Amino acid sequence: MILEKHDLVIIGGGPAGLAAAVAAKEAGCDDIVIIERDRILGGILNQCIHDGFGLHAFKEALSGPEYADRFIKKVQALDIAVMEKTIVLDLSGDKILHTSREGEMKEIEAKAVVLAMGCRERTRGALSIPGHRPSGVYTAGAVQNLVNLENIMPGRRVVILGSGDIGLIMARRMTLEGAKVEAVFEVLPYSSGLQRNIRQCLDDYGIPLHLATTVIDINGPKGRIEGVTVAKVDEKRRPIKGTERYVPCDTLLLSVGLIPENELTREAGVTIDDVTQGASVDDCCMTKTPGIFACGNVLHVHDLVDFVSMEAARAGKNAALYAAGKLGDATEGITVKAGDGVRYVVPQRISHGENVSLAFRVTSPARDKLIEVRDGARLLASRKETRLHPAEMVWVDMGKIDLKEVESLEVRVK
Amino acid sequence: MKHSFNVLIIGGGVVGNAIARELSRFRLSTAVVEKEPDVCMETSCRNSGVLHSGINYKAGTLRAKTAVRGNSMMDRLCAELKVKIKRIGKLTTALDEGELPGVKRLMDQGVANGVPGLEVLNSSAMQNIQPGIEGIAAVWSPTSAIISPYGLTIALAENAHANGVEYFLRSEVTSISKSEDGIFTVVASGGKVFTADIVINSAGLSSGGISAMAGVKQGNQGENLKIWPCRGEYYVLDKRLDGTLKTLIYPVPGAKDAGLGIHLTPTVDGNILIGPSADYISEETPEDYKVTAPVLEELRREGLRLLPNMKMSDFIRNFAGNRPKRTSPAEGGNGDFVIEEAKGLPGFINLVGIESPGLTASPAIAEMVRDIVAKHLELEEKENFIAERPGFAGHFCELPKEEQERLIKENPEYGEIVCRCEKITKKEIRDAIENPLGARSLVSIKYRARNGMGRCQGGFCTPRIVRILRDEYGFKPDDYIFREAGSNLFTGNVREVD
Amino acid sequence: MTEKEFICVVCPNGCSIEVKYEEGDPPKLISSEGARCPRGKSWARQEIENPMRTFSSSVIVTGGEFLEASVRLTKPISLSKVFDVMKEIKKIKLQAPLKIGDVVLTNPAGTETEVIVTRNVALK
Repeated sequence: MILEKHDLVIIGGGPAGLAAAVAAKEAGCDDIVIIERDRILGGILNQCIHDGFGLHAFKEALSGPEYADRFIKKVQALDIAVMEKTIVLDLSGDKILHTSREGEMKEIEAKAVVLAMGCRERTRGALSIPGHRPSGVYTAGAVQNLVNLENIMPGRRVVILGSGDIGLIMARRMTLEGAKVEAVFEVLPYSSGLQRNIRQCLDDYGIPLHLATTVIDINGPKGRIEGVTVAKVDEKRRPIKGTERYVPCDTLLLSVGLIPENELTREAGVTIDDVTQGASVDDCCMTKTPGIFACGNVLHVHDLVDFVSMEAARAGKNAALYAAGKLGDATEGITVKAGDGVRYVVPQRISHGENVSLAFRVTSPARDKLIEVRDGARLLASRKETRLHPAEMVWVDMGKIDLKEVESLEVRVK
Repeated sequence: MKHSFNVLIIGGGVVGNAIARELSRFRLSTAVVEKEPDVCMETSCRNSGVLHSGINYKAGTLRAKTAVRGNSMMDRLCAELKVKIKRIGKLTTALDEGELPGVKRLMDQGVANGVPGLEVLNSSAMQNIQPGIEGIAAVWSPTSAIISPYGLTIALAENAHANGVEYFLRSEVTSISKSEDGIFTVVASGGKVFTADIVINSAGLSSGGISAMAGVKQGNQGENLKIWPCRGEYYVLDKRLDGTLKTLIYPVPGAKDAGLGIHLTPTVDGNILIGPSADYISEETPEDYKVTAPVLEELRREGLRLLPNMKMSDFIRNFAGNRPKRTSPAEGGNGDFVIEEAKGLPGFINLVGIESPGLTASPAIAEMVRDIVAKHLELEEKENFIAERPGFAGHFCELPKEEQERLIKENPEYGEIVCRCEKITKKEIRDAIENPLGARSLVSIKYRARNGMGRCQGGFCTPRIVRILRDEYGFKPDDYIFREAGSNLFTGNVREVD
Repeated sequence: MTEKEFICVVCPNGCSIEVKYEEGDPPKLISSEGARCPRGKSWARQEIENPMRTFSSSVIVTGGEFLEASVRLTKPISLSKVFDVMKEIKKIKLQAPLKIGDVVLTNPAGTETEVIVTRNVALK
């Protein structure tokens, strides 16, 4: 077993890991290692060939690989070490990692760790869709990988379950490659994807979107899927009798949610927030385990990579300061609560109060509302929003928060 | 193409392969004919993986005899074949006074069947084994165990193959006849014609059909040989709950129950199974493995009730298996195994209705079949029989660190992880792909290497396996199948390659 | 006559614009309300009568570390021309190495855009 020591280890070389590494180096840390399980850096961006990345960060509409390339070039220019094709098998609360790659296992002791593992897709098994289990049932991200990186066409007649952006993007991609996308079905009464994508991926191609409808049966007795039965659902998501309809297809794409990939986080005993399914962090992106930081999709699922980079830069910079002993002890701090109309807020605690940015998601679509940040009865900040949607993360910059003056924070929608 | 063998085994499930392995000890030419693209595709891979003790079966029945004998053979068999086995015992529990007669009945039955180590435990003794368990009394059967049913079946097949048994996959038997001079002719799909001295019907769900095909319409004692498929649905639970169950916990079965009731079964790999249900399905479609909404809902309810700290996200997968029952829906219950040389057709050994405890009984059934074969053919033991399978039981990630490091030095591919959730290495994937039977569907690889069985259900490993098959084994889009013939994964390339 | 509502993407305000239009080939805008600036108003008209789009696709590559190079349009084109441009893209076969920004097609199907490579593809 090879034993190594490093100041900072970043688990994951996708957009979060890359931005964290750059910020850490710029904050003065010279001993950084990015551990990436794929053979290339870039993470999920490598398969996101559609544009729309970087509108905030670079004021350009880039594709995923282009956005990743900007950061990869910085990482190379800054001479930051990368271990590719390497998986972290174990992580302890003492920041000891066990890694494995072809031909070698290592034990690495780190002064600080940044968790940037991203997320994975919710599976068919987890959805419990009844019926056969034939081939031709895929998660949208898996199809994106096959079509965009491996030159493989999974099917020609497609039904999509879930109106999340990945499903919408793939509806367009498959259509442009000659497949027939029959419809998109969404179990909620509103779409979970961006309006822009509904227009440009579905409306443009005459692909219908059926809300409050879900797949209740998969038919494929001869090996490959032949069709699905869909039905409208009530407010409790139960199928309504009499509304069943059979839709022939040879492919079912599931775009039904992303789950932060927190296996290592749990193994390390890091406290997880049940709502975000990611670690509970403070305004420095540090978890409740000293020296372990989290950012990006592993912390909470984002919709714009630009904000991932911002959040990751914060995590990287603070992790570098921590490794150098310069972060300053985290106080117990104040808790941040999700109030009325808000599903969750990140960070869940403020323990330094230097430059606080609150990120949150609302529980349901709304118009012409006021966002309020309160300390008990005291209003600290408020902002008018004409449009709020659960699919669009909202950010409120609070600037400096004096922990002596403020007891708690609550974000709510009025 | 004509093939001639001493013994032809129809059906590549756990029973057929146990027979193949047993017969491969002797100087005989043996072949297994299996209609699917791999062995272990039907009942053998779709069950709870439990090795029963033998308490559940009426004394004197074949089920009782073969279960007890088979159970006693498993430690040695698993050691030789490098298959993981865990002797965790079983508590068959009575929840209230009304069920106590059932406990006594099972205890008496078990003793009559020669089941070792049985005890009736009171509630506090039960708590010692499984803290928090409900119930006032239980039969404790220490020889009950858990195993990977597909792990055992594939190990039997590959060891039989290493010892000279030939395997014909994708070969569905279409006719069986016997000539005047006593030679069987068996025709299978793909234009294959086999001749054999002995034909063994171990076709499980199709055993009734194969028997009828050979003209054997009823058992030697007049038993019904028609197969009634009875579906059992299961949920697989997340490994997060590993350790919750210290032993197997079953309810006392009712006499007319088609199965052993819905219960929780820990698996040898650390998951928990909930199920199985028991619903008769149409005999026209014995291989209909649908999972159904009402049963899944019932399993979820039971699961959340039985395991207090469970979450919905812990239900990671569901599947169904079909029992080949000889008892009709009206009769319910279980019929005994039919294991016999057909009276009117010497040389045709009929195994019909091998449902539970078929997995447990398989090596004992193989012995019985061997003894019948011995009446017709001389069984001369081979000197060079390879009893042991190479490699290690379980998975690389379960080995001690020093062993892992040693193996990585020998074979660097043990360092590359392909299945992140289950920590399966590239070397194990490669061994699975290069299996001696030549089965290369995704599920064939999965049953051998165990990739794709974790939380992400293949989300991470599948693209990597697609790449490995393409770059290292020359697979084109049409070559990838999921499980059975016709389950193609892809329809082609995005852009045509020259 | 059809009514639709969408969010303008011209500036971060995201005005909600309600339009009324006649279906047809091409559709004809009848009225629009809600845009707070002339750019938004003309964007709404364009969205109905001649929507402009960019899109991404891929091109087969030989001799590279990847089988495909992702590509995208540098300028929006008329939605009605998307499949014509796709036809051109499908014909292309490239050789590694490739760099982000390499131009693959200029003015495909008579449009004003370029099609550029968006993924670096090193030699295998």
